[in-house]
Amino acid sequence: MFDYIVIGAGIVGSTIARELSRYQVKVKVLDKENDVANVQTLANSAIIHSGHNPDPDSLKAKLCVWGNKLYEKMEEELSIPLLKSGAYVVAHNKTEEEKLAELYETAKINKVPEFYYLDSQEAKKQEPNISKNVTKVLSLPTTKVTYPWEVAFACMENAIMNGVSLQKNALVTKIIPNNEYFEIEVNGKQIFKTKNIINAAGVACDDIAGMVEKEVPYKVHGRKGEYFVLDKRVKGFVNHVLYPLPSDKGKGVLITPQFHGNILIGPTSEYVDDKFNVSTSFEGLDYVKTHAKELAENIPFNDIIRSFAGIRSSIESGDFYIEESKEFKGFYHVAGIDSPGLTSAPAIALYLLKEVIKIDKKQKINKDFNPIIRKQREFHSLSKEKQIELLKEDARYGNIICKCEKITEKEVIDAINGELGSDTIKGIKKRIRVGAGLCQGGYCEEKVMRLISREKNISPLDVKYDDKASKLFVGETKVNKL
Amino acid sequence: MREIVVIGGGASGLAVALETKKRGRDVLLIEREEDLGGILNQCIHNGFGLEVFEEEYTGPEYANKYIEEFLKLDIDYHLNTTVLKIEKTNNYFEITMSSKARGIEKIKAKAVVISTGSYERSRGSIIMPGERPYGVITAGSAQRYLNIDGYMVGKRVFILGSGDIGLIMARRMFLEGAKVLGVAEIMPYSNGLTRNIVQCLDDFDIPLYLSHTVTDVKSGESNRLESIVIQKVDENFNPIENTAKVFEVDTLLLSIGLIPDIALLDNLEVVVDSLTKSAKINQAYETSVRGLFICGNSLQVHDLVDNVTLESIRAGKCVSDYLEKKLEKNNESIDIIPGKNVGYVTPQVLDFSWSPKELIISFRGKKKMEKTKIKVFQNNELVFEKFKQFIVPAEMETIKLDYSKLNKFDELGISLEEL
Repeated sequence: MFDYIVIGAGIVGSTIARELSRYQVKVKVLDKENDVANVQTLANSAIIHSGHNPDPDSLKAKLCVWGNKLYEKMEEELSIPLLKSGAYVVAHNKTEEEKLAELYETAKINKVPEFYYLDSQEAKKQEPNISKNVTKVLSLPTTKVTYPWEVAFACMENAIMNGVSLQKNALVTKIIPNNEYFEIEVNGKQIFKTKNIINAAGVACDDIAGMVEKEVPYKVHGRKGEYFVLDKRVKGFVNHVLYPLPSDKGKGVLITPQFHGNILIGPTSEYVDDKFNVSTSFEGLDYVKTHAKELAENIPFNDIIRSFAGIRSSIESGDFYIEESKEFKGFYHVAGIDSPGLTSAPAIALYLLKEVIKIDKKQKINKDFNPIIRKQREFHSLSKEKQIELLKEDARYGNIICKCEKITEKEVIDAINGELGSDTIKGIKKRIRVGAGLCQGGYCEEKVMRLISREKNISPLDVKYDDKASKLFVGETKVNKL
Repeated sequence: MREIVVIGGGASGLAVALETKKRGRDVLLIEREEDLGGILNQCIHNGFGLEVFEEEYTGPEYANKYIEEFLKLDIDYHLNTTVLKIEKTNNYFEITMSSKARGIEKIKAKAVVISTGSYERSRGSIIMPGERPYGVITAGSAQRYLNIDGYMVGKRVFILGSGDIGLIMARRMFLEGAKVLGVAEIMPYSNGLTRNIVQCLDDFDIPLYLSHTVTDVKSGESNRLESIVIQKVDENFNPIENTAKVFEVDTLLLSIGLIPDIALLDNLEVVVDSLTKSAKINQAYETSVRGLFICGNSLQVHDLVDNVTLESIRAGKCVSDYLEKKLEKNNESIDIIPGKNVGYVTPQVLDFSWSPKELIISFRGKKKMEKTKIKVFQNNELVFEKFKQFIVPAEMETIKLDYSKLNKFDELGISLEEL
């Protein structure tokens, strides 16, 4: 019998799992995917927003400002990447400046710790590539950029260290509420018993809730966002997150410098019928290009290395829905976590535990809880002395596997064999950015395939890109069969 | 301190190392793979060497001709070694490299030659809408999987782009028993050599869809490619409605172009040509950084390896001359610029501090033309003219110019006049 089962191992499920592991409770996390952070957490702007935008009095406003602060603590404890970029919201004319003034007021009411205006001259001095037509800027110094799945990995790894168990490839197929506990059926066969369920299933939240509730209090409307990624050689093109003024479509198309030097441009915001479909379109990518030009001059579109789309799990109310089921006590909804969900995630976990579950009244503190993970930074970002020291310990640091991102054999092996290791090409890419550079894996995918095959002692024929159906090869060539 | 460090041990690097060694220079070659030969090792088809040896070889055979000579001359080389960085001080270069055998080390050199080849454009560099399943891979990666590793990447294949690697892979996959359903090319003409269209597509009844591109990519429940949609495009490359064709395939090979790999030049102050996407050079294959040379596919993407070899031998000669101090810096130079119907030109600069010999200019036509005149102008005066039948963007053209006819002040323009 588990005390808590968390459904969903995205950023929200991961932060919740970590907070739960501070207590003496038996916790399991289930995810239908073959990896942590594989859906919404994998495809978003990566921004830790300041909290200037959500409606005052909304849960989003409270948890966004709170979450932003908590990221600094997570940086300290979990060694997560955090680019303290700050952000500019730009206005182009008097009408937009009035809207900018409304945002200024919102920021004040939401208790954003720091925000101020810049005139266009000052803004251009700080960001030489900002659009010539910008007349005024709202500067938000507390805005940051992270690397979302790495945050989820760190939280989940820390949770596991502190006693939580994680089961991947675990699709919840049925939930049976009993008087004292729930039974969760996984993949149509395995049954788990648990006293409490936390539904953090992202875009599938309403599907999961529908297995329990007679009437689900929300419906997820997938809202697609399409993006471009620019190669890291454009690093420094902009140093702040550039926002247009928000509209009814959300925060608009942004230009976002990324932690590792790339620049992200997007997203679009379109409601879609199929909430699991993350395809891109000519129209969407065109829209991104057109609107990005309102923010900056001479955007180096020639350096695009990738486009992608993600789905936000929006619900009608427009606010987060974090509540216990009215009918089924012990079933907790964490739904409608669209933007600023990444920012809010650590605060969502605390809010859920402290204010909704009121866990301190129910559970004892886990005195052995260790909040610290020391993750070694990328080998080629370390000091010369440290590199020499590590090379003495392990010569495989000398073998470059991904030449675009300068990732070594030892780092690939650690990504395969680590606590939260992966044996897929995509999983390794998520962990150490092998194949995330200019050549997009054209050079290194084969080398990673061979390392997975060697380390996992499996035939190359069984190496997968991602899920079961995505094996790299369909068979041997005729020559090889001889 | 080495005299010359050559980075890359493919066709280009081998030729440079051989030429400089024969001229008595001290040279070290650095190769990141476990074998010399570069991309030739995975090109197991024939058609290599017609120009240089007047005989047809496969890629590995062609490479071996040079590797054998390289080993015989006892030229220094490192395998499994990746160059991380090149820095320039006043008089020499400092090269940082990394390997499992020797860790991270630095060496100094008087001259550096970049012969790092090219990389393939991937899906990200073009706008291809749709989902992102596995099964959309570059033709060169697939070639490596088949020919080096011995594994088949798919059973039902479509190919986007009619570059030579795509055409070669169409035939290769067909011979391995895959169903190759077609090749789509966004341009109204093929981007590969005519002989490859005939020998790799026509001979196997593989259809070529000109003025077509992929407009959707779909996967089913799984994360594996299930189907693609191609559409005809208009002259602005926009898809035309009601021309969609669906192909159920598990693999889409991309043969949409090669880009010179000049990542190592990022921290050097090298002037780059947006047309070749590589460093600008003078007629001695020297970049804007004195003593830093570049040739082969890292300079400009070639359609024949023979031309890579010939070009790299010329570059090797120039590097040797540089070390023998056969040049006087006099700061006199003129630009060479592509004119009408010309896509790009190398060299981009004629530097008169290099002793006058013949000037070899390479370029590509922008479009397919039946009968043309290649014309070179200086200050509106025709300094060179030559009739040429069949200009196609897929084939690089080369002309030789006499220095003595040129003045040292006016830029040189090369254009193609359609007759």
